[in-house]
Amino acid sequence: MINNTPLRRLTWRRLRQRPFQYILLIVGVAIGVAMMVSIDLANGSASRAFALSTDAVTGRTTHRIEGGPNGLDEAVYRRLRQELGYPLAAPVVEGYVQAETLGPQPIRLVGIDPFAEPPFRNYFGSGAGGDAGGLTPFLTRPNAIVLADSLAEPAGLGLGDEVVVEINGRFHPTTIVGLLTPQDDNSRRALGNLIFADIATAQELFGQVGRLSHIDLIVPDSALLPVIEAILPADARLETAASQQNAIQQMTAAFSLNLTALSLLALVVGMFLIYNTVTFSVVQRRPLFGVLRCLGVTRGQLFQLILAESLILGLVGAVLGVGLGIVLGQGTVRLITQTINDLYFVVNVQSVTIPPATLLKGVVIGVVAAVAAAAVPAWEAMRTTPQTTLRRSAAEGRIRELLPWLLLAWGALTAVGVLLLWAQAGGLVAAFGGLFAVLIAAALLTPPTTAVLMDWLAPLGDRLLGVLGRMAPREIGRSLSRTSVAIAALMTAVSVIVGVSIMIGSFRSTVIQWLEQTLQADIYVSPPGATATRDTGAIQPDIIAELSAWPGVAQTAVAHPSEVFAPDLGRTVQLVAAAGDVSRGNRPYAWKPDGVENPWLLLGEGIIISEALVLKEGLPIPPPPLTLQTAVGPQTFPVLAVIYDYANDRGTIFMDKAQYAALWRDEATSSLALFVEPGADVDRLVREMQGAINGRQSLDIRSNLALRQTSLEVFDRTFAITSALRLLAVIVAFIGVLSALLSLQLEQTRELGILRATGMTLRQLWALTLLKTGLIGAVAGVLAMPVGYVLAWILIYVINVRSFGWTLQMQLQPGYFLQSLAVAVIAALLAGVYPAWRLGGMVIATAVREE
Amino acid sequence: MQKRLPRQIYALWGGAETVPYPSWQTLSSDMPLITLRQLTKTFSEGGQTRTVLDAIDLTVGTGDFVVLLGHSGSGKSTLLNLISGIETPSSGTVEIGGVDITALPDHQRTLFRRDRIGFVFQFFNLIPTLTVLENVTLPQELAGREKTAVSTHALHLLNRVGLADRAHAFPDKLSGGEQQRVAIARAIAHDPMLLLADEPTGNLDEETGQRVLDLLLELTHAAGKTLIMATHNPDIAQLADRVLRVQDGGISNQLSVIGNQ
Repeated sequence: MINNTPLRRLTWRRLRQRPFQYILLIVGVAIGVAMMVSIDLANGSASRAFALSTDAVTGRTTHRIEGGPNGLDEAVYRRLRQELGYPLAAPVVEGYVQAETLGPQPIRLVGIDPFAEPPFRNYFGSGAGGDAGGLTPFLTRPNAIVLADSLAEPAGLGLGDEVVVEINGRFHPTTIVGLLTPQDDNSRRALGNLIFADIATAQELFGQVGRLSHIDLIVPDSALLPVIEAILPADARLETAASQQNAIQQMTAAFSLNLTALSLLALVVGMFLIYNTVTFSVVQRRPLFGVLRCLGVTRGQLFQLILAESLILGLVGAVLGVGLGIVLGQGTVRLITQTINDLYFVVNVQSVTIPPATLLKGVVIGVVAAVAAAAVPAWEAMRTTPQTTLRRSAAEGRIRELLPWLLLAWGALTAVGVLLLWAQAGGLVAAFGGLFAVLIAAALLTPPTTAVLMDWLAPLGDRLLGVLGRMAPREIGRSLSRTSVAIAALMTAVSVIVGVSIMIGSFRSTVIQWLEQTLQADIYVSPPGATATRDTGAIQPDIIAELSAWPGVAQTAVAHPSEVFAPDLGRTVQLVAAAGDVSRGNRPYAWKPDGVENPWLLLGEGIIISEALVLKEGLPIPPPPLTLQTAVGPQTFPVLAVIYDYANDRGTIFMDKAQYAALWRDEATSSLALFVEPGADVDRLVREMQGAINGRQSLDIRSNLALRQTSLEVFDRTFAITSALRLLAVIVAFIGVLSALLSLQLEQTRELGILRATGMTLRQLWALTLLKTGLIGAVAGVLAMPVGYVLAWILIYVINVRSFGWTLQMQLQPGYFLQSLAVAVIAALLAGVYPAWRLGGMVIATAVREE
Repeated sequence: MQKRLPRQIYALWGGAETVPYPSWQTLSSDMPLITLRQLTKTFSEGGQTRTVLDAIDLTVGTGDFVVLLGHSGSGKSTLLNLISGIETPSSGTVEIGGVDITALPDHQRTLFRRDRIGFVFQFFNLIPTLTVLENVTLPQELAGREKTAVSTHALHLLNRVGLADRAHAFPDKLSGGEQQRVAIARAIAHDPMLLLADEPTGNLDEETGQRVLDLLLELTHAAGKTLIMATHNPDIAQLADRVLRVQDGGISNQLSVIGNQ
């Protein structure tokens, strides 16, 4: 029977003797796990919040009849009920409204027929609703609404109170005639963002009299589907409720995956830290292990001992990380929700939901990372022979022997990475796999590169700084097993900073250039939209006419975006109906036929599609004609050109507005661009126009500059979370360097003592320490430059293209690279301050005796 | 001075600083080189105080070869450490060449040690990242002296210890005896007035130990330098001018004992 108790006692004593070393390990695991958990929680909370509010509206719906951009004619509902006699159908009119008294977030207003509702949703009637006034006022009072008491009470609202809602730039007073009391937490969250109205009220409010957004159905037997489909008009289609929800979740899938990959990075950097700490603790205990082996401790016991240590410390770190992740999650959920609202759809996250699975995943990944990183040093410990108490120099000698193999491993792993990046079929996950492979390969290249650089720097340092300049690189080179891991960790973190900075910088400058080319008009008019990048609603025709004829306005262009169904693609696509060219022929084209100068002018003869649509759908160049479902049935359009467009990552189709109006029977215009006469004062015109329409419709009237600024604000908000994640990765790397330096210092105690005894002053010892850390930082910073460039290349030309379908122009600025060097050197120097300070307390006589 | 680095920067990390004390060559020969007064060293261990050296008074003349005998843990090494200034006394003073080093701040004490004292350790204690030659020139380079100038002298010393051909090797390629010979060359390279040796042959076999000892005496005692050596070996004591036994915190002359052996 093997007894491990004495070994456990030894471990416990060591933990107490060298707590700082192990605290750093725990912190490394904790930060890595925290980042992952916080991103996971935020992604999950946003998607759950959306699912809940969608579920609340979907209820027990199995299928849905969808119309075109203008919705459905309500006659379809009548035919369904009367001609087919189909009872399980409920009409819905819905849209987003703004109600100042209920808070700044857009709220979903759902118009329903309470008599058709019971099979679908049970908020009314079946006891769930505390419907004080009953159905009568709901149906009879003009602009009557019902909402959850959890939404009304915080705003100090009750039955009979008025809520002014803003729809499409116009304000409508509504009255609360009923309050719903959600019975559970899920219902409370689901209803927290909903207002119900009678269908006729909703139609009036949204200006959609006679139209429905969709018809919800419960179809228990799929044999009924063809019967229902037979009575549908040309522009309507029957979809399952699940496929619709799925499509919406798909929209943010790439965005979520990008964030998850970035959060994993901190864990990778954290693994370097764990490896470093465990290796150090093994090397330091070699003599002890030698003695233990002599006394009869088996190899297996030693292996278990090291792994068990890492497991326990990893567990502590992971649990702390999960706690920290929950705290950080509160902040990240805000940033992520903002981006989803800006770019995709309206989602209102009231609280961070904490599913146990996410927490468990965080703990498991943290512990597995800790144990995996400890496996190599544990293996080393196992190989300690009873006869030898291997010295560090021997271990370092082995590292030197390993260098050619590391070079080989670098080549092999890079090749794997390139293959993964090459494989189109692998999609985004393979691309991230390739990115990580290239990054880890670069980390493997660190020891050989550091060895060569240090050999080369020692004579140079000698010439410049004398004996200290010679000693610093030599000590780094001699302690490769320790220093190269710290350098690799720092290099990884900093190269990610460089890569992501170049990507964001290139993205930003591409967007700025694109905005400059595309937005040539001087003044832009649109109703305030629910999401920042999309104009919804319509401008009143009289206002369009008035502003177009405004003195000083020379020319106009109008547009109206909508979602249309493309049967070839099996999904809806954004279609922008445009009249006039807001870019004055300056739009950048990804493809246009030879000999055509400005395809925009040919818009009536076909459609122009965005590059994102081509890349997302894998369309060939030139793209084949595209079929769209119109109000007069499916119509096929030739593709005239492919345009760069960074406003929508699902792809956009541009069509002549008159053609659109004829095919979809939709005359609405939601954005108006005005070109002013030369010399006109744009700001004065904007002020005058704002004054003229005041009180008629709430519209955003912005100058070209203001619109561009708003666009860039949205852009910067989108990347705010990326910056935060970059910073965390550097903090982990900083801890890695600090841990490595402290390890080195402990190992070199006797050497430092001799130096002091031989006449090295404390200041010289500080200088030597900071010189070493500065060099560690500089090497990491220098290596991070090419690696960062490669990462940027992958992010721009592979990840971005596969995630969003956008081609960006890479913009290199010396600042990115200088910044990386500065970050690396400063992080390393800061990490060197504490070890240097500790030197002051060294007792030379004790240090010299240290063995 | 260093070749490239501006003097101000080098001085900033304590390189080219001069020692503001009288040169030891100017000391009169009848004046003791070392004077210890009421020198006491206590250590705290687990809440208890242990007195290793208790109010020791001692003078050592210039050019003397003094051997410290004593059991392990008797305080021999502590005494050497106190004299060299790498350890500070609990009370009492250490005066070397007329300078009370116990009154000096750490920085000044380091400069004094670098300039005036050589130390040979039991475990050779060479710096593994420096070559044999660089180990020898280390104290002088730390003092900001030109490497090429000090190298010539160091090579001369390495020649005398029989290791000129190993000047560019790293310490881990040398045998124990060779390493200790390098350590001796390093200890005398800056021409110190006082050499302290802590069990210099304790880690070597008898034959190698004897050769190292001969070399040490030739380069120090025979050259008129003061040498204080801690050892277990009574044979070495026979060669000394004075033999002191360190025992129970005190120190006593052991000439008669040596004579009897």
